[in-house]
Amino acid sequence: MAILELKKVQKTFGSGRTKVEAMKETDFEAEKGELIAVIGPSGSGKSTFLTIAGGLQTPTGGEVMINGTALTDLKEKKRAALRLKEVGFVLQASNLVPYLNVGQQMQLLDKVKKGNLQKEEAKELYQSLGIDHLIRNFPRDLSGGEKQRVAIAKALYTNPSIILADEPTASLDSDRAFEVMKMLKEITKEKQTATIVVTHDTRLIDDCDKVYKITDGKMELQERVHDIL
Amino acid sequence: MFLAWNEIKNNKLRFTLVIGVLVLISYLVFFLSGLANGLEQLNREAVDKWEADGIILTEESDLRLQQSVLSKEDFDGSGVDEYTELSQLSAIASNGDKKENVYIFAVDPSSFIMPDVTEGNAFVYEGEVIADDTLKEDGFEIGDELSLSSTDETLEIVGFTDKARFNAAPVLFTDQDTLDTLQYGEFAEGDSDAINAFIIRTDNLNNVEADEALQVIDTETFIENLPGYTEQNLTLTLMIYFLFIISAVVLAIFLYVLTIQKISIFGVMKAQGISSGYLAGSVVAQTFLLSLAGVLIGLALAVITGLFLPAAVPVAFNYIEMLIYGIILIIVSVIGALISVQTIVRIDPLKAIGG
Ligand SMILES: Nc1ncnc2c1ncn2[C@@H]1O[C@H](COP(=O)(O)OP(=O)(O)OP(=O)(O)O)[C@@H](O)[C@H]1O
Ligand SMILES: [Mg+2]
Repeated sequence: MAILELKKVQKTFGSGRTKVEAMKETDFEAEKGELIAVIGPSGSGKSTFLTIAGGLQTPTGGEVMINGTALTDLKEKKRAALRLKEVGFVLQASNLVPYLNVGQQMQLLDKVKKGNLQKEEAKELYQSLGIDHLIRNFPRDLSGGEKQRVAIAKALYTNPSIILADEPTASLDSDRAFEVMKMLKEITKEKQTATIVVTHDTRLIDDCDKVYKITDGKMELQERVHDIL
Repeated sequence: MFLAWNEIKNNKLRFTLVIGVLVLISYLVFFLSGLANGLEQLNREAVDKWEADGIILTEESDLRLQQSVLSKEDFDGSGVDEYTELSQLSAIASNGDKKENVYIFAVDPSSFIMPDVTEGNAFVYEGEVIADDTLKEDGFEIGDELSLSSTDETLEIVGFTDKARFNAAPVLFTDQDTLDTLQYGEFAEGDSDAINAFIIRTDNLNNVEADEALQVIDTETFIENLPGYTEQNLTLTLMIYFLFIISAVVLAIFLYVLTIQKISIFGVMKAQGISSGYLAGSVVAQTFLLSLAGVLIGLALAVITGLFLPAAVPVAFNYIEMLIYGIILIIVSVIGALISVQTIVRIDPLKAIGG
């Protein structure tokens, strides 16, 4: 069974002359253990897709199912709880709390949810992201790339079944970017998460199981990765 | 608490300012409550000392002691457990050095309103008085000969008693004969029957059977009708209530601004799935911590100030009342935080994360 499913999902903003069809009717499925890349030019609807998939906004039409639960039936409170349990977001903008150090960012998650990574697992994660020496640092003392890696760690810390990453490698140099993608792949396979990565960078999609391309809100599965390259 | 506390630790200046404002407000509240209390005592101490349930005055007295003139025979004690007569005179007393406004109360030495002597002796011979403690602080001593403004007669302080101020002036206690002499001269004919009031103790004031021309009122009503007493209390109490509102508003504004600044941070946390309830709880917890700190510091400052105040400043702290006011301050502060809670609930995580 698909862990994440979009059925005939469609999203329009505004109406009349200012109407924008950010997402045309789309069916989409992600299985556990799948690493999926979504590529497309700026303004094509990638973030819209990702936030709808993660239950941060409701589609104009259609249905989003996470782990068998239809999101449209849920009140915001329940949706938040579902996000906390199932979804790990890595956002385009930094999603760190400025007055918590790196370790405390994770502690906060322990306060609100059980079943997060164990100490050893977390340590491993920090090491593989190269942030294990930054645990006591506050976000203001981190570089853009470090922040991004901490954000990834934060998304993975809750053991989500779905990882949604919006340009997770945008502020990283290409070595780090490859490494992060490799890591996301490892985690996807190891933890059997469904991982969806939105990216501009077509060099990073080699390792992905599926690649979707969005143009003007229309999402299409690329049969062969090499078609895009 | 986790979020609340870490934020405070990381924004010390900002939160020190918030606490500072709360300290000032709560200091003012505590000080005013001390002042209100002190002024109250200044007015009523001597009456409270009677531990009486009521007082009988004439109908025409307007509830004022000096305007109530009646005779010892006007009341026979029916319906009360205990009763005694009280006569009074107000005067300016001087020991040659110092002058003071005083009330002279004539009391029966065997009655329940006879004060305990804390220093010296009780009055025995004509012209002897027991004086309130505060006169001692003002430089009056046992053995002092007091001249009065209204008569050539003199009085002698033979003892002191504590907590005996009435309507903002210290009280001198003496017997009826002495007071008669002061009022009518040494050669006044026989015993005067004129007194100002009967002080009574009873379980039920309604059972007291008094003459038509008299009225029976409870002690509290009597006190409330002391000149200026209620007005003064009301003014100070009103100021305190205003301060409660001010502290709620100030804190509400502060927290609201802080919350607005943190919208994107809250949005990000909400995107991750952290509930509004948790975030709101953290703001409330933060408010609680801030107001608790502010109130405790304010309390400490007020108490310390109280220790160094000269005796002439009528500030008397009632710690239970201060505790209640402190709790009210904390509660209204937390109520002020609820505006921010509403803001947090309304934050759309999508707007906050951009993208
Ligand atoms: N809240 C909104 N109101 C109106 N239009 C919106 C809103 N959000 C997005 N859009 C529009 O929908 C389209 C898709 O936006 P989206 O943010 O999904 O693009 P994107 O592919 O993520 O772009 P980028 O690569 O620059 O992040 C854009 O034309 C955008 O202007
Ligand atoms: Mg985007």
